[in-house]
Order: sequence, then structure tokens, then C-alpha cells
Amino acid sequence: MSSSTIEKLKILSFSGRTRILHLSWFAFFLTFFIWFNHAPLKDPIMKSMGLALADWKTLLLLNVALTIPARIIVGILVDKYGPKRVFSGLLVFGSIPCFLFAMADDFTQMALSRFLLGGVGAGFVIGIRLISEWYPARQVGVAQGIYAGWGNFGSSAAAMTIPLIALLFGGDDGWRYAIGMTGVLALAYAFIFYRNVHDTPKGSTYFKPKKSGAMEVSSMGDLWFYILMTLPMYLALVVLTLKLSPYGTLLFPAASLGTPLLTETAFFGVVGGLVILFLVNVYRIYHVNHEHLKEPVPDIHRYKFKQVALLSLTYMVTFGGELAVISMLPGFFINTFDLSIATGAAIAGAVFASFNLFARPLGGYLSDRLGRKLALSVCLGGTAVGFYIMSHIDSSWPLAGAILATMFTSLFVHAGNGAVYAVVPLIRRRLTGQIAGMAGAYGNVGAVIFLIIFSVTGVGSFFIALAAFALAMFFLIQFLDEPKGKMAEVMPDGTVQMIDVE
Amino acid sequence: MNIHGDMSAQLSITSGSYSSRGIKEENQDFHGLVAPDEPLLTTKGIAAVVCDGMSASYAGREASETCGKGFLADYLSTPESWTVQKSAQKIIGALNSWLYSKGHQNAQERYGLVTTFSAAVFKSNTAHIFHVGDSRIYRLREDGLEQLTRDHRVWISPEKNYLNRAIGIDIHLDMDYRKAPLQVGDIYLFSTDGVHDYLSDAEILRIIRQNQEDLERAARLLVETALETGNSQDNLTAQLIRIETLPLQEADELYHQLTELPFPPDLQSGNIIDGYKIIREVHASKRSQCYLAIDTENNEQVLIKTPSVNFEDDPDYIESFLMEEWVGRRINNHHVLKTYEKTRKRSFLYHVTEYLEGQTLREWMHDHPEPGLAEVRAIVEQIARGLLAFHRMEMVHRDLKPENIMIDRHGVVKIIDFGSTKIGGLEEIFTPLEHDNLVGTVDYTAPEFIQGEPGDTRSDLYSLAVITYEMLSGHLPYTNPSNMRTIRRREYIPIRQYRPDIPEWVNGALKKAMMADPDKRYQEISEFLYDLSHPNPAFASTRSRPLIERNPVKFWRTAAIIMLLANFVLLTLLLR
Repeated sequence: MSSSTIEKLKILSFSGRTRILHLSWFAFFLTFFIWFNHAPLKDPIMKSMGLALADWKTLLLLNVALTIPARIIVGILVDKYGPKRVFSGLLVFGSIPCFLFAMADDFTQMALSRFLLGGVGAGFVIGIRLISEWYPARQVGVAQGIYAGWGNFGSSAAAMTIPLIALLFGGDDGWRYAIGMTGVLALAYAFIFYRNVHDTPKGSTYFKPKKSGAMEVSSMGDLWFYILMTLPMYLALVVLTLKLSPYGTLLFPAASLGTPLLTETAFFGVVGGLVILFLVNVYRIYHVNHEHLKEPVPDIHRYKFKQVALLSLTYMVTFGGELAVISMLPGFFINTFDLSIATGAAIAGAVFASFNLFARPLGGYLSDRLGRKLALSVCLGGTAVGFYIMSHIDSSWPLAGAILATMFTSLFVHAGNGAVYAVVPLIRRRLTGQIAGMAGAYGNVGAVIFLIIFSVTGVGSFFIALAAFALAMFFLIQFLDEPKGKMAEVMPDGTVQMIDVE
Repeated sequence: MNIHGDMSAQLSITSGSYSSRGIKEENQDFHGLVAPDEPLLTTKGIAAVVCDGMSASYAGREASETCGKGFLADYLSTPESWTVQKSAQKIIGALNSWLYSKGHQNAQERYGLVTTFSAAVFKSNTAHIFHVGDSRIYRLREDGLEQLTRDHRVWISPEKNYLNRAIGIDIHLDMDYRKAPLQVGDIYLFSTDGVHDYLSDAEILRIIRQNQEDLERAARLLVETALETGNSQDNLTAQLIRIETLPLQEADELYHQLTELPFPPDLQSGNIIDGYKIIREVHASKRSQCYLAIDTENNEQVLIKTPSVNFEDDPDYIESFLMEEWVGRRINNHHVLKTYEKTRKRSFLYHVTEYLEGQTLREWMHDHPEPGLAEVRAIVEQIARGLLAFHRMEMVHRDLKPENIMIDRHGVVKIIDFGSTKIGGLEEIFTPLEHDNLVGTVDYTAPEFIQGEPGDTRSDLYSLAVITYEMLSGHLPYTNPSNMRTIRRREYIPIRQYRPDIPEWVNGALKKAMMADPDKRYQEISEFLYDLSHPNPAFASTRSRPLIERNPVKFWRTAAIIMLLANFVLLTLLLR
């Protein structure tokens, strides 16, 4: 098949669609850049603020908490105001806690700013939406892969550059200037983005989806399944709230939890709020579905919710694991191998997060070539083995061995992300956005849960937990039904025919 | 007449017909049938119709002919995937709406365009009967003659009756629909009241039975007998159809194959689908792809539009994609992109249209930043002619914008996209518009349409006026174009702010065509065109009007600056 005359992805150009792609991945890059701007600065921050290790872990945890509810809000805002305004707005919003954190005098202020920064983690969906407005179906997969891969590189870039900036300013407050600068960057780019991006190509219209809020399911059984699957999102937040409250010792008696951030009243207030949110969510699920479930859904419109659940749980360990590891790895490397901040952070950034650049697309490629289920199995198996090996890393290891183990794990984790998103559009084309949203939310649930494990136990148990979860998913993913499809075949004379693929 | 009699696995019929004006001056009856070749024979079947233009009607002949011919022509061009019932209902709905509005356009005329309508579609092993009025369809089998339709007549006395249902009487139409299984040897009679009111069932049966071998003769005898021995007072029409062979039941499977078409894959240059060889991709968006292709049968260049796989399981999208093709097939106008008929069996979902070489109006506007009035008028008039072709068929385009207008190499302007066209008389189901789910581009869309009202021809006028304004000035005619909530408060910016050389009366015409309230706009596009080229004294120059009226923004801005300066002066005086 020759594709000589068909417009290529022209990735090096900076006009039309490609310009939008470049502007969006960089916006997404910056959200990751500021989201994890604290991770490589563990030691100077702890030293200058006099933080306990438990408090540092609390900060890591708070950093990913708000992302779960923020995704929902951002989704609604994007429907209503369009990607251009929402992404610019999010960057402006994200710059504020950067400044707050840079100027923080005590732990509470730091905690608050880290918590607010969790909101920028919801930036991913905005760009996905923008790119799907601009690219035809044929190219949208690749474009979104580039967006996700290059954008995620932001956390790597943060690990590699921010310690250097901090050193450049020098002194005890070097880290403050470095973090403040990332805020300035985000703020400035917000305006550049706003001025240069359009929500749709000229002449087309920005559609609001017909039914937003909840996904359509195909049977009453699936409706219950769906409601059950929303529960962990709230449970993760409840556990987090509990951990930060004076009651935390009830749940984690052995752990050192650091300063409780919430009073008893605040604890009950937050939990009450979460219960109400959950009930609202259940009502919306019911509201979207009760009408069309009165009669059996026609065969061609059926899909199994099981598929969505399996992909979400897989993403929970791949993407959730990735976020958790990005947060703790720079500190872990620096402390374990007694490296300088800049070197340790750079190594952590380079070997883990930067793999995204090619490993994520690789996952998509494997999925196309090997089949969906096999690709996911390979990625999950590799992830389980990798995390298990990483659980054994300690100061007796040579640094090179630790780096190799990390690279190995990173490869499978990121390929797993790509493999999950390669299957998402094949479940129900029409619900792609919502299924992707659900999987994404589970990624963040994973981050919260794994970081809670990290903060109440140690590095070893953290990696063991990841490995165990990945292994469990390796078995569970065997229940995934390989999506069926039709394939086009081109005859020698050029005639195109459809063949059914089982 | 013998159609498809040689192939036993197909549906085939013989037919005969005869029509006479009888003692009247004019024959206002219409009858006809279409029996297409494959693949349409399987997907659509054979359609036959009889119509009786109401004799009291001002133009009975026009009514019956429009309706009957329109049905036969339109039926075959409906999408393959539509059922017989859906296709017929949509066409008849549209025809009814058209006749009704035609009949009511001239209020001084006492009678509208009204006709009875009885049609049957023979497809696979079933007859689908559609009926309004007092023309009839009978079926003749061994066990006798059965009337399949019910007369829509009201008897006010034993002698006097009138028609209470027909096409063109009311904007709302109730149509009878029934299905009947076909048997080989069934004879169907389509007749108007001039025949069946003056012959007994026994006579009809006898005449047809005696002349079974020659249906032409049977039809003629029915008419002549009614006229001579029955003393018929009306136009007389009889059309006979005998079922000769029936397809096997399995044909349903073939039908599914033909109607449930898969979306084509990405097409590469050199690929061939159904005899169209792809040359290159012309355009691709989130919603569809367009390819330049060559029809290998006649070496003509065509454009192939394929649906985007993004919408593979979205029934609303598929519906509107099919609608677009049907709309294109219904319109035959020099200024509207031509949609080709399907001549071959299709294995994918796509449509084929003429390929235009040229530029979109958007590109033209880039190349001609400040065009002369005459140049713009010439283009606007052509767009208007295209729009009128829609409006004549009771259709509203609803998505007119510079990207949807092409100027070909010869300077001919054509409307190229009709995916959101609304067709009069059809139920809301394919108005893909919901209040919060817009189809059109907001910049060119009339306010009433954005607010969820169905919109009418005046909404298209609004879009046309916005385009005219933009061509002349390079700007949109109002402040804050994209904000949906403030759409009613769009402020019109006089065009002379951008182009002082444009006469004030042109500005007046544009402003009037863009009034937020459709009742305040021109009611006809032709009036707008006229006012674009002839100074209308109502829009006399406003040179003498105060600045605050001519350009409120400028006025207030100047006022604010003066006041600010005054404050500075005051401040310096105070601080001194």
C-alpha cells in the first residue's frame, strides 16, 4: 500500500493542526512540570522547612488527591467553555499554588498549595479533546500518543532541570526561586496558549456531547457494576482524609503519620461531602441509564462494562504506579545512593519518566500487532516483575543495577499505558471520551492508593504492593474479550474489500 | 409491458394501464410505476402510484402530477438502509408540506393544491400500501376482489359526500399504511373514483378475469365500461399490475448485505472501491473524509465523501450522513453541488458527488480582501440561486458559511454541504439540532436557530447577509460573535466603519437582513438581492445623524478619554 499522496502527520511543521498539537502537548508538559516540581527538591525543602519524613510523604500524597474530583469538574468546563479557555485557565490556576509553595512559611501552607496543585493533573483530558477536534480519525491516535508521551515528559524535565535551577540561585532559598519560576512559566504560557489556539478548525463547530455526566451501560447488571466501580474513587479519598485526620492512627496504627492536617470537625465535614458527591454521582448514572434500560438494548449497541472495568484497573497500576513512582523516585535515589540532588534527580527523571517518549507509543504498536489482550498481558507481567525487582533495591546494589531495574520497569509501565489507550476506542466508539475519562480517573485513584501505602509503610512494601497489584491484573486481564472488528483488505488490483476479524 | 420476466429469482411484474378525461375538459388523474434494475430492485423494490387531483382544486392536474411523479422519482433515491415505510413517509411528508405551502402562498386563491394518493411498493415478498383520499387499490386473487384501501370520505347525506383526507389539505397528514404478503399471480388494481364509483365489484372482477392475458386491454375496458355503461362523471384511471415471479425468501439476507453497509477504511491512492479509483485525499476532518476519485467506468473525476470511523456506532450521525445524500439527490441546480446516483452496488457507506476544482469562498475572501460591490453581488446572487433551490423544495439549509461555498474554475458558485438541512413536513427526528448541540457554525447562524427554534428560509437569508458583509469588509458584522448566551444582543456594526466607500443603502440592506427578529428581516431573498443593487430610499444616508447613533463605541470611547484627560488636568491643578 502506498501512502505517498496522503497527507502525512508532518510533525515538524508548525501550522494548522500540527501547530495545535505542539501548543497542546507543551501545555500538558507544563502542567506535569509544575505538578511534580517538588519531587526532585526533597532534601533542600525538608532541610529548610525542618520537615519530618512523614510530613514529606503527606505532601506527596496531597499532591495527587485533588486530581480525582478535578477531572470531573474540568470535563464539565471543557464541554461548556471549550479547551482553549479551560486549558489557559488551568495553567493560570496552577501557577498560584506554585507561588504559594515557593513563599510558604509553614507546613500547613505547603500542604494547602500541594493540595491545590493536584488540580493541574486534570489537564490531560483537555488536550485530548482539543486534538480530537482537529485531527481526522486516521491520525488522531498517533497525535494523541504524541501529546500524551511528550506531555508526560514534563515530570522528567522537572526532575532534570529544577534542581539545577535551584543550585543556580543557590543558598537555602534556591528551591523557592526554582519553584516560583515554574509558576511564572505556566502563567506566561497560559497567555501564549490563549492567544494562539482555537477550539476547532475554522468553520467547524464545537459540539457539546448530548449526554454528559455518566456513561450509558447495556444491562441492569452492568448498571450495578458501574456504580460499584465508582465507589473506589470516593473510598480512596475517604482513606486519604482519614490518614490526614487525628483518627489516622486507628487505620494505620504502626505508621508514623506526621502532623495531622485536619481537625475532627474538618474530617467529618470532608467525609460528609464525599458521601454526598457519591450519591449525586449514583443519581446521575441512574438518570442517564434508566430510560433506555427499560427495554433490552439492541445487540449492535451492546457492550460489556467488564471491559471498561478491566481497562480502568489496569490503568490504575500502570498510570497510578507511574505517578506514585515519579513522586518518590528522586528522593529515593538521592537517599539510597547518597547522590547529589542534581545527579539523583536527573537520573530518576531520565530513567523513569522519560521512557514515556517512546514506550507509550510502543504499547499502542504492540497492541496493534500482538492483539489487545496479549499486549496488555505482556505489559502487566513485565510491570509485576519489574516492581518486584525494584523492591529489592538498596544501598548494597550498584547504581547501574538500580538504573537498569528502573528502566526495565519503566518500559513496561509506560507501554501498559499505551496498550490500555489502544483498546479504549474499540469498546464503544461513541463512548470513547467517557471510557477514557473513567480509566484516567482510576489512574489517579491508583496514585493516591499507592502513595498512601508508600507513606504508611516503606519503599520495599510500596514496590511489593505495586508488583502484587500488577500480577493480580495480569490474571484478571485474561477475562478481557478481544475486541472484534472488520479489517479492510486490498486486492492486487487495488479493490478494497471488508473481511470480518474474529 | 413485461419487466424482469426472464429471471425467476427476482421480483417481476406485468402491467397495463389506461386513463381518460371522460366527460371533463381536463384529466387531473396521474398514474405511473417505476421498476428499477438491480441493486435497487432488491433494496427498494417496484413502486406504483395513482393520484386524483381534486376536481374542485384550482390546479388538480399540477397537484396529482407533482405528487405522483415526485413520489416515484424520490422513492428510488432514498438511502438503501431506510425501510419502505420510512422512505415513503418521509417523501409523502415532504410532498404534502410542499403542496400545502404552494397552495397557501397566494391567499386570494380559494383552493389549494390537493390530491388523493394511493401507492404500493412491491419489495421482496411484500406489498406496502400507502393511502390518503378516495382513490383505491384492489387485490384480485382466486378468492375474489379485495379492496385494500379505505376511502377517506365523509357522507353528509346519502347523495352527498366529500373528501376529508388528502395531500395538501393540512400541514399535518394522516396516512394509512399496511403491508400485505405477495403471491405469484396476484393482480393489483389502482383506480380513481371515476372508475370504481361507476362499476360494481362483480363487473371489475369479470373484466379483469376475462382479459388476464392482456392487462393493457383489461385496463382500457375498465375505463370504457365505467364511462359508457356506468355513465361516469369524472376522470377515469385504471392501472393493473400482476405479480409474475417472486424472489426467494433468502433475499432478505441480500437485502441486509446491501443496506447495512460498513464504513470504508482509510483509502489510499490506488485503492478501488466499487469501481471508483482513489486518486488522493482532498480533505479530512473529525467528521468525514473526502477523496478525489475516478469512476473507472467512464473515466470521470468524482469526489467521494466517506463517514469518519469516529461515528461508526452513532445512529444519529449515520442518519444525517444518509440524509445528506438524499438531500443532494433531490436538488438539481447549477449552484448546488451535484450528488450522483448510485449506479452500481455499493459495498461501503459513502456518497459520490461532482468534483469541483476551485476554491472555497473562505479562500476567495483571503485573496480578495476588499472586493468591489459588483464582484460581491455576482457571487451573492449565485449563492442565493442555490439557496432558492433548497427553499423551493421546502428545505432550509441551516449551515451556510464561507467554507460551504465553492467557486469553481469557471467562476460558478456552488453550495457544497447539506448535512444539516431541514426538510419541511418531516418529523423532528432528523433535525440533529438540539438546544445545546449545534450543527451550524455559530458565526453565520441566525439567532432564532441557535436558540433552538427550527428556523425557516429567513434563517438562511441571515447567513447569506453575514457572508455578504464579511466578503465586503473582512469582518463579522457584530461584536462578540461566539458567545451563545448573548446572541440576541449581538450588536450590528455598520459596515461603513470598515469600508467607508460602501454606500449607506447597502449598509441598510445588510442590517435589515440581519435583524435578530426574523419578522423584521426581508421575507424573501429576492428582496434582499434587489436592495443590494438598487438604492432603497428607506435607507437614506445617515451622514447627518449624531455620532452616538452612527458609532456608539467610538462615541463612548472618545467621551471616556476626554473625561480621563479632564481628570488628569484636575488632578495636576489640585496637586499644584
